[in-house]
Amino acid sequence: MTFSGDTSPPSAVVTGMGVIAPGGTGCDAYWKSLLQGVVALDRVDREGCTELPLRVAGEVRDFDPERLIENRFLVQTDRFTHFAMAAADLALSDARLTGDPDAPFAVGVTTAAGSGGGEFGQHELQELWGHGPHFVGPYQSIAWFYAASTGQISIRGGFRGPCGVLANDEAGGLDVFAHACRAVGNGARAIVTGATEAPLAPYSMVCQLGYPELSLAQDPHRAYLPFTDDACGFSPAEGGAMFVVEREDSAHLRDARVRARIAGHASTFTGTRGWEHSREGLARAIRGALAEADCSPEQVDVVFADALGVPAADQAEALALGDALGARAAVVPVTAPKTGFGRAFSAAATLDVAAAVLALEHGIVPPTPNIAEVRVDLDVVTGQPRTAPLRTALVLSRGLMGCNSALVLRRPEEPRT
Amino acid sequence: MNGPVTYEELATLMKGRAGLDVDAAALEERPDAEFATFDLDSLGLLGIVSELEKRYDRSIGGEPEMCKTPRAFLTVVNEQLTTGV
Repeated sequence: MTFSGDTSPPSAVVTGMGVIAPGGTGCDAYWKSLLQGVVALDRVDREGCTELPLRVAGEVRDFDPERLIENRFLVQTDRFTHFAMAAADLALSDARLTGDPDAPFAVGVTTAAGSGGGEFGQHELQELWGHGPHFVGPYQSIAWFYAASTGQISIRGGFRGPCGVLANDEAGGLDVFAHACRAVGNGARAIVTGATEAPLAPYSMVCQLGYPELSLAQDPHRAYLPFTDDACGFSPAEGGAMFVVEREDSAHLRDARVRARIAGHASTFTGTRGWEHSREGLARAIRGALAEADCSPEQVDVVFADALGVPAADQAEALALGDALGARAAVVPVTAPKTGFGRAFSAAATLDVAAAVLALEHGIVPPTPNIAEVRVDLDVVTGQPRTAPLRTALVLSRGLMGCNSALVLRRPEEPRT
Repeated sequence: MNGPVTYEELATLMKGRAGLDVDAAALEERPDAEFATFDLDSLGLLGIVSELEKRYDRSIGGEPEMCKTPRAFLTVVNEQLTTGV
């Protein structure tokens, strides 16, 4: 669909956010945990998980799906979709948006997924091998697929507009915003978008053991230390965030509160040849996102780093920022709140986007927990949160399989360029 | 219904397998209402057939999973279960 007279795509804005993070559920609890630098990383204590080499991760421990989701959706979905449905509810309620039965195609859904429904799948496969094919429930055919969350949010909310799922690595958590902006440009009124993951079940955890980037450290305070001499990989996490991304004119028409503007995005691919190659890819993604946002390096007020925790990757990220931002790279505040609660695969970047929107709203950069001294030439915010006038945030994400993405968010009152 | 499988059992299976709060009396009152009106989808019905096959320890032919209504479903299932293998 095109709009005659439009010279550029309509502006897309964030009007709702729903967060389910190891440190807290809901924007308020999440923001409070970020400001306090809460360390939610802990030893995984779930059944079947305690004897694995992977010990430290960020679990969401206060989540009661039966209180939030109808039974008929619970029986056919995995925990990652429970998170997605609950986070979508929070985002829609924050945006004061409900499905319009008279315009069912106006709202769509796009999620990113990297781990899928491992817990549900494991249960059914155990039935298969333990008892036989007849003991495998038919919902296995949908529950563990990456697309499950998009489908169930769409069915549950009556959102029949453009729907999609990005299964392209961690960076998909940023790419969904570009996808949503494109759908809005093509005529959708709003897209419910984001990502959630639930990779802390035995089968899913064993799958991760093949990643050389995974931290097998035992101490929650020492397991995930990006940018430091003690970096030894990343700790995984579960949870994620969902958003309502809306056409700006539609948001204004219904008097919605605009929380942030999605100003620019770009993504590149540099493969798995070695983390040093992500330098060029990430730098190009940053330049592309800034160009789309018509934003100069001097205008970037805060960077939410990918912060993988692998020395070569951390070095590549610092160099990429230098390549793309020039002198600004050494002085712009850089933060990675995820060191407090872990990296939730595709959902990690969505939690960073939520943190970035909250940071823009409050004019505060949350700190990078557990990090004291960094070995890179970046101004990493450690210890206490830092107050600063924030108008523009840059969020970075790289995937273990070679995707690099950058997203530029701006405060709503910043003029559209 | 003269077969081994009753509306009561169907309602219980709909709850257990598909998470639906359905009253057996409601099914019996509206035996020709489509399963969709009770929020039961095709995968849910497939799960119920599979559960019945386990319970009665035999496979059930006649494609009951294709039935659209409770009455049609129970008719096929009970025919199959009462007329030999």
